[in-house]
Amino acid sequence: MGLLTVLKKLKQKEKEMRILMLGLDNAGKTTVLKRINGEPIDTISPTLGFNIKTLEHRGYKLNIWDVGGQKSLRSYWRNYFECTDGLIWVVDSADRRRLEDCKAELHKLLQEERLEGASLLVLANKQDLPGALSAPDIAEVLELPNIKTHHWQIYKCSAVTAENLVEGINWIVDDIAARIFYVD
Amino acid sequence: MIRYLWSLVCYFFRPWIKWFLRQTTQMCELQRICYGEPSGAPRALAIEDSLRHSRDATIKKLLIYLDDISDKCEITIETEQEVLQEVIKTVLLTKKINPVAHPDFAKSFGKCIELIWGYRQLCVECEELRKIPYDAENPEHEALLMKLWDSLNPDEILTSRVSKQWQHIGFQGDDPKTDFRGMGILGLSNLIYFAQEYSGTVKQVLLHSLHPRYGYPFAIVGINLTSMALRLLRDGSAKTHIYNSSKTLPTIRAFHHFYCCLFYAFDGFWMQSKPNNMMEFSSVQERFESNIRATLASPTTVFRLNVSVDNV
Repeated sequence: MGLLTVLKKLKQKEKEMRILMLGLDNAGKTTVLKRINGEPIDTISPTLGFNIKTLEHRGYKLNIWDVGGQKSLRSYWRNYFECTDGLIWVVDSADRRRLEDCKAELHKLLQEERLEGASLLVLANKQDLPGALSAPDIAEVLELPNIKTHHWQIYKCSAVTAENLVEGINWIVDDIAARIFYVD
Repeated sequence: MIRYLWSLVCYFFRPWIKWFLRQTTQMCELQRICYGEPSGAPRALAIEDSLRHSRDATIKKLLIYLDDISDKCEITIETEQEVLQEVIKTVLLTKKINPVAHPDFAKSFGKCIELIWGYRQLCVECEELRKIPYDAENPEHEALLMKLWDSLNPDEILTSRVSKQWQHIGFQGDDPKTDFRGMGILGLSNLIYFAQEYSGTVKQVLLHSLHPRYGYPFAIVGINLTSMALRLLRDGSAKTHIYNSSKTLPTIRAFHHFYCCLFYAFDGFWMQSKPNNMMEFSSVQERFESNIRATLASPTTVFRLNVSVDNV
């Protein structure tokens, strides 16, 4: 192996990002993941355990981990915190009944030491459904403006129509890149 | 590459080999299969292969016709005999088979046609059920959901429609309506069939799912298994089981039965793997699926539920 290959390998390694996707059950995490990976989204069943997808995006290699959101699985989320560069929090914008629950879980996560410094992208998903709350409303209910520990951004989106998904991913990738690759 | 060359060789030599065998045995390929292969999947798979490779214009037209009516789900108990008679007549004429000299051929061949196009029709039927999303506003869907509860918990009354009790049978939250997701009404009917037709087995499986250490969410695992059963059906892997287990035209019951066998087998597999926690589901499920695929690759495979357990 020549020096150039070694350098290339190192560089490739540098350009990897680990992104963790969490949220309550039925938020649409798996649908978001499949949609950005260009897979069919019509035969999804509730996630037990997790899905991992590796995809190339603007020259970066993204390892996206989608972990089941069912209440009994949430205690296992912490097994996936290590080395997380970015956190995507997916919200079902039409499920008003559980927004408080959603807020509590999110703020619990943000106190985690191992997630310190990770960029936070909140996806206000299911905008295609009638009765979906707007992104500013979701931001308010989830008390996002109070977050001082993480870079955060909220995007309204719909995994079914693919609206705004790429924009959200672009933001988190840029934010992570600015933090870990271009520090010097 | 080698595979491609081999298929080219087969393509060119097939007619010669068939001609030679026809001259020596005085029988066409379809007859040789019907007399030579054991009934069920070995015979039906060979007949299917032979028909699909046919270059005869009449046979090709016949296949288009059969594909068309099965895609429209028009083969029913009422129309079936008529369709079969017509198909058999056409084949006897095209292949110049004397029905008096070969009385068994028509029967055996008709059976294969019934299985092959019944399976195709079954794929369409399942897909249609899958495409119906669970709708909480639809009283029929709600009634089905209640039926599921009652057959799984005959002794416990559901206190309200939205209740924590749903989690006892392995739904994610207080309201199962969103858990069916992409599997729609197919997932729900699978579960109901399992609970109603194999009440003994289902009790045992449900108990396992509540195991303090190796427990799993029964309903959600069930919906994931619907997804797996459908995958196996669609890519044709389930043919061996369906062909071997169907005495008559395969209907949705055949799919439900296949599902129940998978669920029962998965339960055993999960308990045996002694997983540390639910997070191992994906890997256990993958191993389970490749085991099932390997079993289905053998043409004599037919899954059965342990009936003795059901009688206890």
